[in-house]
Amino acid sequence: MKNWQKLKQKPDLWQQFFVREQVLDEIRSFFKNQEFHEVETPILTASPGTEPYLDLFATDLMIQTPSGNKKKQLYLLTSPELAMKKLIVAGLPKVFQLCKSFRNHEGLSTLHNPEFTILEWYRAESDYTEIMTDCENLIQSLVKNIHQRDSLVYQGKTYQLTSPWPRLAVKEAFLKYAGINEQSLLDRELLVKVALKKGYQQAEESSWEELYHQIFLNEIEPILATFDQPVFLYDYPLALAALSKKKAGDECFAERFELYIGGIELANAFSELTDPKEQRQRAMADMQQRGQLAKDTFPIDEDYIKALELGLPPTGGIALGVDRLVLLLADVKSIQEILFFPIEEVI
Amino acid sequence: MATVKAGNIKRGSYIRFRGKPMLVSKTEFSFPGKGSAFMKVVLKNITSGSTQSFTYKSNESIEELDISSIEMQFLYVDGSEIVFMNPRNYEQLSVAIDLLDGKENMLTAETKVYIKIFEDKPVGVNLPPKVKLKVTDAPEATAGNRSKAAKRNVTLETGLVVQAPLFIKTGDVLVVDTASGEYVSRGN
Repeated sequence: MKNWQKLKQKPDLWQQFFVREQVLDEIRSFFKNQEFHEVETPILTASPGTEPYLDLFATDLMIQTPSGNKKKQLYLLTSPELAMKKLIVAGLPKVFQLCKSFRNHEGLSTLHNPEFTILEWYRAESDYTEIMTDCENLIQSLVKNIHQRDSLVYQGKTYQLTSPWPRLAVKEAFLKYAGINEQSLLDRELLVKVALKKGYQQAEESSWEELYHQIFLNEIEPILATFDQPVFLYDYPLALAALSKKKAGDECFAERFELYIGGIELANAFSELTDPKEQRQRAMADMQQRGQLAKDTFPIDEDYIKALELGLPPTGGIALGVDRLVLLLADVKSIQEILFFPIEEVI
Repeated sequence: MATVKAGNIKRGSYIRFRGKPMLVSKTEFSFPGKGSAFMKVVLKNITSGSTQSFTYKSNESIEELDISSIEMQFLYVDGSEIVFMNPRNYEQLSVAIDLLDGKENMLTAETKVYIKIFEDKPVGVNLPPKVKLKVTDAPEATAGNRSKAAKRNVTLETGLVVQAPLFIKTGDVLVVDTASGEYVSRGN
């Protein structure tokens, strides 16, 4: 049965769906009270983010001209971050956006819909630690205003929200929960040896990134699910920096964090990379890797590099999955229970 | 040795994991977006019964166990064991009741099952997707209960209790789904 039919049959269900509306309202007032500007940037773009493993929805823009039709390859966004950071360069120091983003080929799961609602916010003259504080304040205020509580109750478990939330460095997590020291973590050959010893039989055929994620998914993510507070996993190995800048004083790591609540990855944040040269190098390397992985390749966003050349101030920024946030506040197991029309209904 | 790519593992298949024979009881494909694709599986050790989960890279090769399957007929329950018979050669085989995962009360003398054998030992019992069972006790429907989907508990010949519509009476034969243990239809 489709969700709209269930709603017609069981009107009590509306309450669970109305949580989204409350969450969106509360997010807007949270940021507006702090003088953030809400912006809208395009969903259709010629140069989406370059993350090597993301699959895109591609489409054609058709333009009629006197000499016939012109066609341009466009994509649906995977995240609005580049456009938002251009607005920081243009002079808006605090911006947020609530919009749809799109990721193809992710597989169907209780935490994924290919079209999803994303919340991004950026603060000039700040870094990822200030964004951590924003996360604490935002979620505390959402839970307080929607449920009149200081703690989040999700699937029978209570998560304390009092600040500060635990902060766990990636290297600390690997040492503590997987027994892997920093030297082994960062070196593929050493990591292969450790992985073989642990019983990952096909470690020798694995790239560093595959080993990292496989060990993370098997040995660390399940531990994050046992915390009774939200937890920030921070300072990622440089190979996973994406658009975060190198850590001051330790260039093997990057100033990036992910926020987990109840084992669910809710958000991904950076101290934004501001160096145009390094930005270009990373984008080119990503594009080369995309080619090797047989994924769409496209021109990198030169306009964004120009903006960095003009000067992006030190900035902290984040992307947060709103559907997952609604799932936590509605206390349901799958996002299909809080989307009116989940993708499963059309396939 | 037969192998399967982790991304293609199916629930209900048997694999070797770190030397141990395992039944795959759950699978979940994940593609975290920051990395390559993974397959999370929940595994049940078919000798010790313990369960654990593991995340494979989806392109890993996994050894499939050499499992044979024999069609057998249910005879009777003997304490903590269930006795089946091979209808072709009348040989009998006792299977620990735990292997039925609580489905032992869906078996009647007519029921044919497939017994999975690994290294000469029974490791699993596959029931047919649906079985027919006779109603032995169907209490009268409460008067005045006119809500659309009204159902009540009825007891079947094997002792299994299912929710069935009000029109079902003692002596009816019901079709029951063996995966969910739920009423499907009347099968007189």
